Amino acid sequence: MNGEMHSKAEHLILQEQVEGIADADRVWLQQHLETCPACARIAASTGQALRGMRAISVPLPPGLAGRAQMRVYLRARERGPKRAGWMVWAACGASWAMGIVTAPYVWRGFRWLGSSAGLPDLVWKTGFGLWWAAPALLAVAILLAEKWGREERTDDVRI
Amino acid sequence: MTATSLYFSAQIADDRTALARGLRRRDPELLDGLIEQYQYRLFRYLLYLTSSPETAEDLFQETWIRVLDRGDQYDGRSKFETWLFAIARHLTIDLHRRKAPQSLDALTGDDEFPGAGPSPLDLFAQQEAQAGMQELLGRLPAVYREVLLLRFQEDLGLDEIAAVVGSPLSTVKSRLYRGLRELRELVEGRQG
Repeated sequence: MNGEMHSKAEHLILQEQVEGIADADRVWLQQHLETCPACARIAASTGQALRGMRAISVPLPPGLAGRAQMRVYLRARERGPKRAGWMVWAACGASWAMGIVTAPYVWRGFRWLGSSAGLPDLVWKTGFGLWWAAPALLAVAILLAEKWGREERTDDVRI
Repeated sequence: MTATSLYFSAQIADDRTALARGLRRRDPELLDGLIEQYQYRLFRYLLYLTSSPETAEDLFQETWIRVLDRGDQYDGRSKFETWLFAIARHLTIDLHRRKAPQSLDALTGDDEFPGAGPSPLDLFAQQEAQAGMQELLGRLPAVYREVLLLRFQEDLGLDEIAAVVGSPLSTVKSRLYRGLRELRELVEGRQG
């Protein structure tokens, strides 16, 4: 048995753990280990090193997650929601743009409804005005709900 | 690929996509859950890198702040832990560059943190056998210790480790071979 075979065996022992080996190599290695006590010791101590390493457990500092959650929460509060704000305003903008384009038709629609229902002009004109204000009112409601939600989470936060 | 494995692959991809969406939104509940879920693995990784529980905890918090700030950079294509460990590693290197002008690659076992005193890994030992192995690991250069942890404790693939440490696959393999060989020799030396 020459040194080259021992080197090959030692490399295969490591390779098997690091990236795996082919079946043919595994068979060769098994046969070699059965007849070579020195390489068998290397295989055994490699296995022992890995088992020992895997058995190590690290105790966590008490409250580790809670402290991190608190810091993350405070940071998130500083920065605020990332996209919700602009998404609401983008939706409002799109709504206003659509409103301008469709205003003449909506005006006629309200007038027709008003006359069909026998409503005074003031009522259906007020309805038309509210129809325009609805997106902005909705946006305000969403933003207020988000703000209240954040304030409630502040009360619940764990330290 | 079987139908079952296809199903699970699709399921994992869906989960990662949902995770990426949540991180983009900076969803506070999602982040709370992630901190709980990954606290052990992230802290252990940082402890292996730094050998200091205090530094590891500081970096643990900084890592999650970075996750919050840069959540939109996680695209869901890779495992979340790969991205998380890469962030933690970058922060560790930044910290050590501020302390001393050297990279993680230049750091080795016991003398890597001036003034840190006795190896804190030893302080963490609860059992004699564990303490012995931790002491041996503490003697390895940090770059070897790191890849050994990622491969044999985190069970990451070689390409995933390469992504975490930002090195070519060949470097990762070389570190694993050398690290495992050195650890084995240390184990043999302890046995006399």
